[in-house]
Amino acid sequence: MNPAHVWLVVAQEFRIRLRTGRWRWLLGAWLALLALFTLLLDLGLNTGYGYVPDDSLRGVPLFGFLMFFVLGSMLVISPALTAQTINGDRERGTLATLQVTRLRPAEIALGKLLAGWSVGLVALALSIPFAGYAMTQGGITITRVAAVYGVVALLIGTVCAVSQALSGLLARSITSALLSYVVTMTLAVGTLVAFGLALPLTEERIVVNSTDGYRYTTYQTHPERVWWLLAPNPFVIVADAAPRVPPRVTRHGDVIHIENYDPLSSIGNEVRQLRSPQGWFVYAPNADSVPEPEEKPVWPYGLGFSVLLAAGSVLVTIRRLRTPTDRLPRGIRVA
Amino acid sequence: MEPAGQASSGGAATMEVTSTPTGPGVDVSDVWRFFGSFPALGGMSFTAPYGQVTALVGPNGAGKTTLLLILASLLKPHRGRVLVAGCDPTVDPQGVRAATGWMPDAFGVYDQLTVREYLRFFGQAYKLDRASVAARVPELLELVHLAEYADQPVHVLSRGQKQRLALTRALVHRPRVLLLDEPASGLDPRSRVELRDILRGLAAQGAAVLVSSHILTELEEIADRVVLVAGGRTVGEYAMADLRAQARRPYRIRALDPEALGRALRDKGITHSTVNGSVELAELTEEQAARTLADLVAAGVGVVAFEPLGSDLESVYLAMTEERR
Repeated sequence: MNPAHVWLVVAQEFRIRLRTGRWRWLLGAWLALLALFTLLLDLGLNTGYGYVPDDSLRGVPLFGFLMFFVLGSMLVISPALTAQTINGDRERGTLATLQVTRLRPAEIALGKLLAGWSVGLVALALSIPFAGYAMTQGGITITRVAAVYGVVALLIGTVCAVSQALSGLLARSITSALLSYVVTMTLAVGTLVAFGLALPLTEERIVVNSTDGYRYTTYQTHPERVWWLLAPNPFVIVADAAPRVPPRVTRHGDVIHIENYDPLSSIGNEVRQLRSPQGWFVYAPNADSVPEPEEKPVWPYGLGFSVLLAAGSVLVTIRRLRTPTDRLPRGIRVA
Repeated sequence: MEPAGQASSGGAATMEVTSTPTGPGVDVSDVWRFFGSFPALGGMSFTAPYGQVTALVGPNGAGKTTLLLILASLLKPHRGRVLVAGCDPTVDPQGVRAATGWMPDAFGVYDQLTVREYLRFFGQAYKLDRASVAARVPELLELVHLAEYADQPVHVLSRGQKQRLALTRALVHRPRVLLLDEPASGLDPRSRVELRDILRGLAAQGAAVLVSSHILTELEEIADRVVLVAGGRTVGEYAMADLRAQARRPYRIRALDPEALGRALRDKGITHSTVNGSVELAELTEEQAARTLADLVAAGVGVVAFEPLGSDLESVYLAMTEERR
């Protein structure tokens, strides 16, 4: 594989996309939407609904909600970027002429993927000024911003890679586009549903013989057995990967746990709690003897899953582009 | 009309056969390809030598496009062996692609690009260096008379112009083997003549040119050899010159005295029919036709017209499709 040839495909895809789509309008609309969201969020945080105990920490919830909005939007945008790159070209009759050139399948697959992904990254980059504004509101470090942006960028790449693989696997571009959204929704919502359905099944019946001779029955659920169902969720990955904001001690000696006001921190804490339950959540007859379990992060699993999914998708795409082929997608001519 | 001389000088700029290749440009032996249980190709065999234009002729569904996809290294044959420019496309597709230009029957172009950008992209995709691409693009556009459209977007081109652009794409890397699927469909008569001149020029420079079509008359002037295919098999492989000699065609005769003509034909026992006052003879080879004419003249019939009907290829083609029924 030659980087120059990957770049050739990237440049070609860009030229075609830039001249077909109304990118300026779309990106302009996206920018306007971000501005509106940030403005309303900023105003909302000044009301009773958005009470933040310390004004110097306003940036934390501002950044958290903004990034959830950006991630949610990117999950909607990303499948569209690559879901028709292979079968769409086949339908237009331009894929076969590309396959008979000396470009290798991997060069075509990666070039097309990088082109789609970069469009996603441009959309993501447009939100940076608003994240910058959140930083000026206090409580946010550059590490936190960089980590969150890095993870969102990778997740966009994963969604693009999966959508492209579907576009290589399925004959019709309309089907692959639809299925790309199904996959994205499965990651974002389906994981929650699966967790919600699995959790009651982990319930364990415990019969306790107390010291005074009574027997009684209690029930204990085991989220630590099914926490991994939540790990691939993009929101969980981003939330848990964001570095924690340390509790702040005010002049009066009060400790402020800002994570309770921030969706990123609270979801992150929540899933770690599910992975290693502690405190009241665990049935412990002799509470003193239960050691405080250490906090185990969930995001490495989610991100690892995501990277594997992306890598697998790229391999599938390359396989589907390899010629001469033995089997053809049903009902499709090669050229 | 372009004189043939100019086209072949354009061809000289196009082809540079550096090494003399051995063996035929395309060698197909007993190739099978199934779609489901249906054999699109059922044991097709033929060769297309360098320096000649070989026509692949057969009715719709004969397997021409399937075969060209196999030769272009896009589709695997299920049985049999194919060599293109000495390489087996299933083993060494890169070798085949470096030496082969392929133009499909139905294709898309990147409508948003300019003609120049389109060709430049494919030049680079065939791994030509920048300097070669820069030199090659205007040369090819000149060859197919698209130079004035170089900076126009591809979507303004007419169908025939797009067809010519697709031909330049297939030629961009100076292939030794050229595979063209129905290249003349959608071309106006002038473009057809130009296509013929370009293809003859390429063959004269040493390329193996394989052209498929179901339009017979247009290949009659282009091809040196004809491979007739039907139902996924080779029905016959002929040199164009032999084919002409073998072809059986009906002849139309007019004589000063139609009754004398009819009498003479009945005496010789030659089957004939009368259509609109002129007499038509059943299919004859050229040799038989010559003898019949000599006999008629010897018998004192005043023959004023004696002409073959239909084209050489058409008669062979019709005879072939008749045999299949």
